[in-house]
Parts: sequence; structure tokens; C-alpha cells
Amino acid sequence: MPDALLEKLCAAVGSPNVLTGIELSPYVVEGRTPEAAVFPASVEEVAAVIALAAEAGMPVTPWGGGTAASVGLPAARSGLVLGLRRLGRLLDHEPGDLTATVEAGMTIAAFQAVLRGRGQWMSLDPADADRATVGGVLATNAYGPRRHLYGTARDLLIGVTVVTADGAVVKGGGKVVKNVAGYDLPKLFIGSYGTLGVIVEATVKLRPLPDQEELVGVRFDCLKDAGAAVRSIMASDLIPNAIELLDASATTGAGVAGSARGVGTTPGGGPSASPAPTATLVVGFDGVREQVDWQRAELARLMGPLGAHDVQSLEARVWPRLATAARAAVPLTAAVMVFAVLPSQVAETMEQGAGMARARGLHAAWAAHAGVGVVRAALAADAVPKKPAAIAAVLAEWREMARAGGGHATLEWAPLSVKSQIPVWDDPGAAGRIMERIKAQLDPRNILNRGRFVAGI
Amino acid sequence: MATLSDSRKRELRRELESIVGPGAVLSDADELMVYESDGLTLFRALADFVVFPTSVDHVSAIVKLANRESLPFVARGAGTGLSGGCLPAEGGIVLSLMRMNRVLEVDYDNQIVVVEPGLVNLHLSWKVGPRGYYYAPDPSSQQACTIGGNIANNSGGPHTLKYGVTTNHVLGLEVVMPDGEIVWLGGKTRETCGYDLAGVFVGSEGTFGIATKIVVRILKKPQAVKTVLAVFDAIDRASAAVSAIIARGLVPAAMEMIDHLTIQAVEDAFNCGYPRDADAALLIELDGLAVGMEVQAERIVEACREAGAREIRTAKTEAERQLLWKGRKSAFGAYGRVSPAYMVMDGVIPRTKLPYVLGRVNEIVAASGLRVGNVFHAGDGNLHPNILYDPRKPGEEARVVAAGAEIMKVCAQVGGSISGEHGIGLEKVDFMPFIFSAADLALMLRLKTAFNPAGLCNPGKIFPTKKSCVEVGPVAYRPHAIEEKGLAQRF
Repeated sequence: MPDALLEKLCAAVGSPNVLTGIELSPYVVEGRTPEAAVFPASVEEVAAVIALAAEAGMPVTPWGGGTAASVGLPAARSGLVLGLRRLGRLLDHEPGDLTATVEAGMTIAAFQAVLRGRGQWMSLDPADADRATVGGVLATNAYGPRRHLYGTARDLLIGVTVVTADGAVVKGGGKVVKNVAGYDLPKLFIGSYGTLGVIVEATVKLRPLPDQEELVGVRFDCLKDAGAAVRSIMASDLIPNAIELLDASATTGAGVAGSARGVGTTPGGGPSASPAPTATLVVGFDGVREQVDWQRAELARLMGPLGAHDVQSLEARVWPRLATAARAAVPLTAAVMVFAVLPSQVAETMEQGAGMARARGLHAAWAAHAGVGVVRAALAADAVPKKPAAIAAVLAEWREMARAGGGHATLEWAPLSVKSQIPVWDDPGAAGRIMERIKAQLDPRNILNRGRFVAGI
Repeated sequence: MATLSDSRKRELRRELESIVGPGAVLSDADELMVYESDGLTLFRALADFVVFPTSVDHVSAIVKLANRESLPFVARGAGTGLSGGCLPAEGGIVLSLMRMNRVLEVDYDNQIVVVEPGLVNLHLSWKVGPRGYYYAPDPSSQQACTIGGNIANNSGGPHTLKYGVTTNHVLGLEVVMPDGEIVWLGGKTRETCGYDLAGVFVGSEGTFGIATKIVVRILKKPQAVKTVLAVFDAIDRASAAVSAIIARGLVPAAMEMIDHLTIQAVEDAFNCGYPRDADAALLIELDGLAVGMEVQAERIVEACREAGAREIRTAKTEAERQLLWKGRKSAFGAYGRVSPAYMVMDGVIPRTKLPYVLGRVNEIVAASGLRVGNVFHAGDGNLHPNILYDPRKPGEEARVVAAGAEIMKVCAQVGGSISGEHGIGLEKVDFMPFIFSAADLALMLRLKTAFNPAGLCNPGKIFPTKKSCVEVGPVAYRPHAIEEKGLAQRF
């Protein structure tokens, strides 16, 4: 880091808010240490920092809570970490409008806590809510089990303010829930991993808190039966807010086994035998009390003929564990892959994928947002570490399986030694060229998260 | 823009026919006139050719030809748009997609359907209805408008309050890019790889390319529906009821406001049973599980009563429900009973600003010596003030346009937007600076350059332009070409 640039950065945000040397250890990714970390406190300061970096050709890595810092390829030159933790204020919340505007550095948990106090919530439940920030969750398009009913960031982000690669402050969308004026810039920035601009403020649609919410676990002998159960739920009148499919390991990972509340219903009336299940379906319901009660009963009725073992209400503490169930199930993780497939292919993907790992002497834990076709697999590391090539070979087979069904797969986490053997991101096809053109238009000097994203962006 | 010579036109016509076949190219002036405007007849422009492709290869070949000849081109669906978005630049090619109207694939297990862009919105719900499914976005023109047009405008409708607008239901698109390349943006899975290009494409008003296949989600029909009409003696009370319902934690499927003037017009025309002496009515619909419906309906009724509703009616039968909806959905047509013409605005405001903005709308229109009817998506804060006027009276149209601009400014001032669902098109290009800075517009322009570098794909739309090739601004009223031929009436 040239001294002149460091001085200018200190002048822009104040020296205590510029970290260098040993203070940078929390921001080391894949063994790569950034040259400095700066923490601006306002949109104007973010703009000033980016303008300085752009002028110096210094790469910039936007940083919220750091929960997704290792996703993607690390930049060849780490450059400047741009931390947003000092932009943590709720700017505007008018309950009657069901919208709120928040700075990007506010954590999801803090945001939800304020909203909950006013009877509302943002219908997004990503993992690590106490550390993940609003800006980071938008930039990485993170979500949790309730996306089944409530969708993802693209369904609730109505306005966004970003600082672009040249230091300009740009707004897209607005503060109203319906808006077609101009291009839909919020969509562009969701899931763009900070490669097109740094999100500094967001306006989101909110929902009223439901009167009641309940999580129900249903155990099956095999994934195939559970997959059929998912189809039956989807075709029914039920309106679940989550449909999660967990294999045996992930069932343990999410702590479902020990979380049954009270006595379960046993379809068919037999004793509630509990052999080690190989699949658990976890279904969430919300609404007024009558709706939740009716749906729980209707679910039990539907599941009976489909080979379900028991239908049990689960404790609320299972909710936040669902998004990380697969990874939590393996003590030492070799890699995590996320698949996007058709909902009808979920159970088969899990079964086939597990078989592929087994054939290479590896174990994986599987969990899915089954109703929307998002499957996550955590590959366990052995006591005797496998060669990166062996890990990469399984991952390649998995990706091929997803592609064969018209889906795709992203390597969400792996050590650099594995990432160097298999692409992190799937091939976006011909659309990749449009993505490259967008990147070239918005960040012509390529300073934002250089090389981290799809198609080498 | 250079004008094509007659002989060059004949050559190009032959070449277009070699792509799409005879009977699928129009180039005679009187035939082209049918395509000179959309639902907003204030703006008109003639194309050189209107072409009717039936396949993605046709579309790609036409677009490549347009590029070779540096001719502007624009895709067109049913032409029901209300902002001039599908008007040709003076000259060039209109690609009518009305012959690409097939449902290509229905996958009930995964609740997705693949359609062609010319499919009429309502026909999709008809197709999947027998199996208990429907397509949620329901613009008021859904009996005529096409899914492709909905994609261009990111169309909404009454039920978007609960179910979202078009973009929330689109998973992927096959697109002919502005250079003729065929590319898939998104696909059938819920997650895409890389930037959300399908999300960016929806609502780009035809400036990013032409969608030739569209993957949409279909939803299960709700188990139960309950429709309530709350009647008010003061429109402010109806506005307060909207906020009160939201504050009670209820999200109805739809919440529509109909004001006094509109009620009169609707009753004159269709006799839907709205009380003629009411100052405003709120049409509220709940849907979902049968169980628990009564509990929620009671909360709605309570909120309306507390806000000062004088009467609350519940539709007892499906016929009664349809009649109540007829009043709402045919309001635009009913204005024909009380005025020779009207201009519909499309502002959006935060819901809590409804009483203030409605008051301002009435003041602005009254000060112009005109009348306004309001029928709109109150739950979304999406206003539709309809300014009534007589186009044959000199100067009246100019006053309408000026009042419209004032209303747009008020919407912008309260933190709103200048369009909720009709699009910017040609109509509102000069209003864009009300809500977007130069930097905002510059970024949008760079995005446009990434998709449409040559600028031939639907030029002149969305962005403020100093001078357009098309006749802009208020012009003397002329009936649409199909009206002149006696094929349609203007309501």
C-alpha cells in the first residue's frame, strides 16, 4: 500500500478506521492478507474511499459480516477491504407502509429485532443472522428455509443505493412496493458478489409477523419416499412456509432428533417406533392459529399412506439450524456444494450424489430446500486427508449430475487446493458473455472483487 | 433517420418474406397504420414493415437483417400498453409476436410452464385451470395482453398486492439479443448462475432484446376466496382503512379503491350494485386456506368499521363476487359514459401518503378545469388517476398533459415513483429526472449499452431525450386507425 494512498484513506475516514499490519488478521482469506482495511461511516465516505482506490488502481473487497468471505476465488491481489460495519443504522421504517430502509452494515439479527418489536419482519432468514449484514446477504443472495413461501431477496428488495466502481452514488428502484420506472437495478446487484458496486443502503418490503408458526418433522425410511411426500405436499392445498429434506446425517446436524415436542402422531395408529431414519422431512407452517392447526393435521393425514413413521412438532430452535444442517453434520468439512435442480429431482439428486461419494470412499451430508430445488451437500474430510484431486473428482461428478438434469452446481466452500482443480462457479453458457459486458461497463478498471465471480468476473 | 427508397423497401420486403414466408409481412401504409400506436393513442409512429415471425429462428434472422441495414426494430404483443413502449421509431421493423402463442410445456410437478411470448395472459390460466392452477399476475387487460408484453413492462394487476408482479413469477427466458444471438437468461431452476439477467431483462421495455420463450411459475388456486366491499362517505376514510388493515397485520390478496365519479360511471354502464351516493368503495379480497378465513375477514371488517365505513358487503356467491370485480375491472371502459376521452396516470406512493396525495390530485385537476376519476390498487399505493377530457376542445389535451406532469411531481415528492406498472415508454421519458439523478440514469444507460450496444432495439424509450424521431408531446386527438375503420370504439 503506497503511503500516499494510506494517508488519503486516513484523511477520508479517520485513522482509527484504517487497519494495517497485524490488525488485518480477521480479514485474511485463503492465506491472503489485504493491504489495508477501511471502515467508512457514511455513504459519502464509502464513495470517497472507492474513488481513491479507483484512482490508484487498488482492488477493493467489500466486507459485511465476513460470513461469505471465502466464497468464490480469492483475488490475486487482495488490495483494500472495505468494511461496512459502521453503516449500521435503520434509516426509515413506517409500519403502515410495510417498508424499511436500512444501511448495508446492519446485521440481519439487529434489523429483525427492531422490526419484530413493531410486529413486522423481513421475510428472509439466512444463516448466521447475528453476523451476516443486510448488504452482504443481498450481495450473496443468501436465504433460508422460509424462502419456500416468501422467496428470496429478489422478491423483497425494492430499492438499493450502491457506490459504483468510479465512486458515484447511484440509486435504483425506490421506496414503493411497485415500481417499473427505469431498469430493475435491485435485481442486478442481488447475488452479484460485490463485483458491480458496493451496496450501501437497501429498502425492502416487510410482512406482518404471523400469529403462529410451527415446525413439523416427518420421518421416512428412505429419501425416495420423502421425495414422493414432497410432491404430495406441493400438489395439496397446504401452504407451508418451508419444506426441508434432510438425510440421516443432516437430521442429526440440525438437531431434529432430540427436538420433538411432546408426543408425535403415528399415522396408522401403531406404536411410534423410532429406528434410525434415513430421511426427515421438516415442514413449516404459519398464519392464524386455526390455519396452523389444520395444516398440521392435514399434513399428518397426507403423510400416512406414504410411508411416514411419525409426524412430530419440533422446537422452534430447529429453525435457524436448517440452513446449515448439511455442514453442521460433518465435523470436518472437505467441501460444500450447492445444487439448483428441479424440485422433482431433489430426492434423486441426494441419493445419487451420496452414492457417487460412497463409491470414492467418501461420506457426505445432504439437506435441501426441497420445494424450490436447492440442495446442499457437505463432503466430510477423512481422518486421513484425501488428496484434493479425489475431492475434486467427486465434486465434478456431482456437478455433471446436476447439469444432466438441466440444473447447475456451485462450489460454496472448499480449500484453495480443491478450488484450483474445479471451477467454483458453474458455466453460465452464452449468458456469460453478457455478464462480462455488464462488468466491463460498470467496472471498466476491474477493481471490485476482481476475478472472484462467475465467468472469471 | 434515413428513409428507405421504394425500391429498397421492395427488396427488403422480399427478403423478409423469404424469412417468414408470404402473408407474414406488412408494408402498405394503411395496414401499417394499425400498428402506429398502442393503448396510448397520444403517440403515433409508422414502421416500414410489420413482420409476423413464428419461430425463434425467424426472430433472430429478422433482427440480424435489421442490424445489417441499421434499421431500428421493436417487438410488439397485443398493443395494449399504455405508455407508447412498443411504438416503432419512425420507420424500421415491428416484430409482431402474436403468431408465437403456444404453450410449449406444462410441468405440474414443478409448477412451471414454458410459453411463447404471444400467448394471451388469461389463456395461460385457462390452460392450467382444469388442473387447479393459475398464473398469478393479472393485469386488467389480461383478456388481450400477452405474456411477452407483460415481460417487457413487468406488469402488475390487482392481485400483485399478495402475489407480486410479473418478475416474481418468471424463472427464465430464451432471448434474441439485439444483435440476433439466441441466449438463455435463467432457466427452469429457481436459482440462476451468475448475475440475475432474467430479473434485469423483465421490465426493460423491449430495449434488451426479444424474449422468444418464457418459463413462468404457476400457483395452486387458493382453497377459498372471500370478497368484501367496504363503502365510505369520505375517500379519506377509505384511505385510512387501507393503512388500518395493513397495521393489523393483514395482507389481503387485493385491495382496490373506486372513487365517487368512477362508481357513477360503472353503475351507469354495468349496474354492478355499487352504492351511487358513496364517496369511495374499497374492494378487498382475501384468499388462501378455507380454515381461518373468517377470523381474518372479521379483522378486515373491524378495521374498515373503525376507519368509518358506513356499510360492508360480502359476496355470498361466486356470481356476486364476479359482479363486484366487474365494477372494478370495467371501470376504464365505463369512463366512456361520462367523457369522450381520458388519460390514465400510473404513479406510486407509500401507502400512508394516500390521503395527502389523493387530495393533491383532486386540487391539481380541479385547478386545470378538468375532472378526475380514481380507480386503483390502493393496497400497493399504485394510483390510477384518470383525467377526463374532450380532445376536440382546443387546448384541453395540453392541460391534461400538464396536470399529469404535476401529479407525477407530487408522487416523486412523497418518495414515490412515476410508474407502477405501465412503464415509461415514450410517455414518461421526460419525467425520469423527477426520481432519478444523472448518475442513476448514467448507470442504466451503461447497462443498456451492455445489452444493446448498437441501440437499434426499441430506440427512444425510457431515457430522457432532447429530441426524438417520433412525434412527442401533446398532439391533437386523432382516433386510432382501427377506430377510423370502424373496427373498434374508444372507451
